[in-house]
Amino acid sequence: MIPFRIRLERRLERHWWQTAATPLLSILAALAAGAIFLLIEGFNPLTVYRELFEASFTSRYGITDSLTIAVPLILTGLAAAVAFRMNLFNIGAEGQLYLGAIFGSWAGLAIAADLPTILGVAAVLIAGAVGGALWAAPAAVFKAYFGTSEIITTLMLTFIALFLMRYLIFGSKSYWRDPEVTNFPQGKKIPPTARFELWSDTRLHWGLVAAIGIALLVWAIIRFTSLGFDMNVVGSSQNAARYAGIPVRRTVIVALLMSGALGGLAGATEVAGRAYALDPNGLELGLGFTGIVVAALARYNPFAIILVATFLGGLRNAGVALQGLPGERVPVEVSLMLQGVILLFAIGGEIFSHYRLSMTRLNTVAAA
Amino acid sequence: MSTAVQAGPGAHPGQPAAIAAVSVTKRFPGVLANDAVDFCVWRGEVHTILGENGAGKSTLAAMLCGLYRPDEGHIERNGKVVRLRSPREGLANGIGMVHQHFRLVDRFTVAENVVLGDPNQQRLLKPREIDKRVAEIGDRFGLPIDPRALISNLTVGQRQRVEIVKMLYRGADVLLLDEPTAVLTPPEVEALFTTVRSMTAEGKAIVFISHKLGEVMAVSDRVTVMRAGAVTGEVATTDTSQRHLAELMVGRPVEIGTRRGTSTDNTVALRATGLTVLDGDQTVVDDVSITIRKGEILGIAGVAGNGQRPLARALAGVFKPAHGTVEVGGVDVTGKGPTAARRAGLAFVPEDRLGTGLVPDLSLTDNMLLTRPRGFFVDRRTARAEIAAAIADYEIKTPGTESHARVLSGGNSQKVLIARELAGLGEAGGPQVIIVSSPTRGLDIGAAEFVRSRLHDARERGAAVLIISEDLDEVRSLADRVAVLYRGRIALEGATDQLPLESIGLAMAGVDESASAGLEGAT
Repeated sequence: MIPFRIRLERRLERHWWQTAATPLLSILAALAAGAIFLLIEGFNPLTVYRELFEASFTSRYGITDSLTIAVPLILTGLAAAVAFRMNLFNIGAEGQLYLGAIFGSWAGLAIAADLPTILGVAAVLIAGAVGGALWAAPAAVFKAYFGTSEIITTLMLTFIALFLMRYLIFGSKSYWRDPEVTNFPQGKKIPPTARFELWSDTRLHWGLVAAIGIALLVWAIIRFTSLGFDMNVVGSSQNAARYAGIPVRRTVIVALLMSGALGGLAGATEVAGRAYALDPNGLELGLGFTGIVVAALARYNPFAIILVATFLGGLRNAGVALQGLPGERVPVEVSLMLQGVILLFAIGGEIFSHYRLSMTRLNTVAAA
Repeated sequence: MSTAVQAGPGAHPGQPAAIAAVSVTKRFPGVLANDAVDFCVWRGEVHTILGENGAGKSTLAAMLCGLYRPDEGHIERNGKVVRLRSPREGLANGIGMVHQHFRLVDRFTVAENVVLGDPNQQRLLKPREIDKRVAEIGDRFGLPIDPRALISNLTVGQRQRVEIVKMLYRGADVLLLDEPTAVLTPPEVEALFTTVRSMTAEGKAIVFISHKLGEVMAVSDRVTVMRAGAVTGEVATTDTSQRHLAELMVGRPVEIGTRRGTSTDNTVALRATGLTVLDGDQTVVDDVSITIRKGEILGIAGVAGNGQRPLARALAGVFKPAHGTVEVGGVDVTGKGPTAARRAGLAFVPEDRLGTGLVPDLSLTDNMLLTRPRGFFVDRRTARAEIAAAIADYEIKTPGTESHARVLSGGNSQKVLIARELAGLGEAGGPQVIIVSSPTRGLDIGAAEFVRSRLHDARERGAAVLIISEDLDEVRSLADRVAVLYRGRIALEGATDQLPLESIGLAMAGVDESASAGLEGAT
């Protein structure tokens, strides 16, 4: 017989530090697990990790580049968080981002030219949000009325969005395609009045402020409004929502549309702040999928999302920098792999913030 | 060799106890579930373990049948120390437990379930012999059962018989029955008691676990009362009374009795006419009409699953009825949703507190907001003041107003729910009609008493109260009028004091005696 029994016990109260400890420990555990792969590949993990940190967070350009990548990640992180905290698994922020880019670049090309910059950028963002919300709408309606799994529908819609975007640029002479460029098809550049201003001589743009503002807005909606309250109730108990007369279907649809709009905003800020055109090559970075990692690590907290997006932005940024290491050419995939391992540990670690391990010694009855 | 077991009033000198727990202690993290408990049953007697939820009676039973092992102390069987490592070893020693939740395979027959997992069963099944033995045991102990019947076609009472037969088939001499009457109708309870008596007549020892005082007095020879993990008394039923047992259970004098309403106001507060509710294509509530006047309590009795849940939900606006109307205070709220019903003055305390009435993962403050009208922004300040007042007024045990509802005990969550639903009682815009499902299920006596007094209080202040409960004693002690629900229809209705218990019992079991007994005029 085993003298000990290990079991999980539910934690009744959670302290804030326990909430914070899980993601931090899962990052550490992921780095440790990643070190094994690096060792197998013949790299010194400590060197790689140090380089990684230095590349992203120590130099002026390193930091600003990390933050530039953080902008769309904040928004896709919010997109995932808004839905996931209600147990609505919108994993299609990627596709909603593409639609946001399509709608946003259309607004930039069609209406922003004659507007002052602030309105031009606003037009791009609003159009992007509308595009993302529209792309989430079928999934939302099918989920609310027929219970169709939103995991499947949002994922499928992502593929449609991907090929739609490629078709608009590579496959057709669409409104978005630049007719002047003949060698390799490209998107038409949006006018300067539709672009975020850059910060000093870096690539960082004012979209960061917009993204942080939107994070605050999302937090305020969830915390202070009746809509946010309804979302909380529907997310944790649909029975209670029905009992209280909260319109469950409407709340599910609104939440998924909001999630889609945030994904669309991510695409619009990429267009207005970095790509300046509907540019499939520059947009197909998996930013929407990474948003899921951001949301999970941030435990769906909008403020934590800003921090986590910056961290993962740095990791991504460093991936490129790592390739340029003198002597040791670490493949860019290392940073992507680390990102995946972090998600795995974050989800696996979740259980420890709700439960604690206890070991009890099994008694051995003394013979009478 | 063994510690002498304290002989009870029914002791049989010179004969060791069929089963005894000697000074057993069992700890769970943060809880002392059993603290040096002594307990013994003789052959041929019924010994009840009586106690409130959490008093430790299930833990003691679990140690007697081998599910748990004591941290300290030991179990004796016929005077010899036994170390039971599993229920299977318990059964090998002739100790069998009938759980509150049956462990039967729905798609198997009675006979198949009886031999399923029986270690003594030969590899080759001889169905005819098994059928014969099952039928024999049934005859012997008054447990009529068809060995070939599928479990899924049996009633709850019949399933319980299968569980008992299963234990007897495997040679159990000591039977532990965990809250066996909770799921039974009164006639089924009587039949069970007859079986219990025929088992003791054959020298079997019965451990009966219950918190229902009336049944305990009726069926047992001796009673061991537990409170907070310790034994507070061991008495022979001939030397005690319900009141005394209740005192031992709660630790202070309790009030047992009934109070009837004195209202003379004839205004109808709740009127449902011809209410029919469908679940898929099944009629779960069938043409039910109810009226409740101000200052009156109507109790709905019935065995679980006879339409109580859908009826309560249809009245509260959560379900849309297929036919019929619901009027609250003269306002037609049929099919207009819970918010409209609430605006008309209806309050609803569902049987499922955590998960329907309260949201487990929201704070108590937010749970107060759940059924309140809300603007664009939520007003937490008012809600927080309200829950803080309720915590003081209702003596709710909670770390604070921002604790999640999940951490509260059953009694405390029911208090939060009642506080929310009864808020504003007697004021303009406050609740006029209160629907309460299973108001005290799972509560300890103190909390149950408190909830009942609040419901009485609501009646005194002019509210119409509808109590839906599977606990017939509760319905009869609280309600001025009783209606029995059977298969979605009202099978019997009348003033509580004019309906004999037998008639209610028969109506619950679906026996129609209204024609012969002429009870219809009792309303």
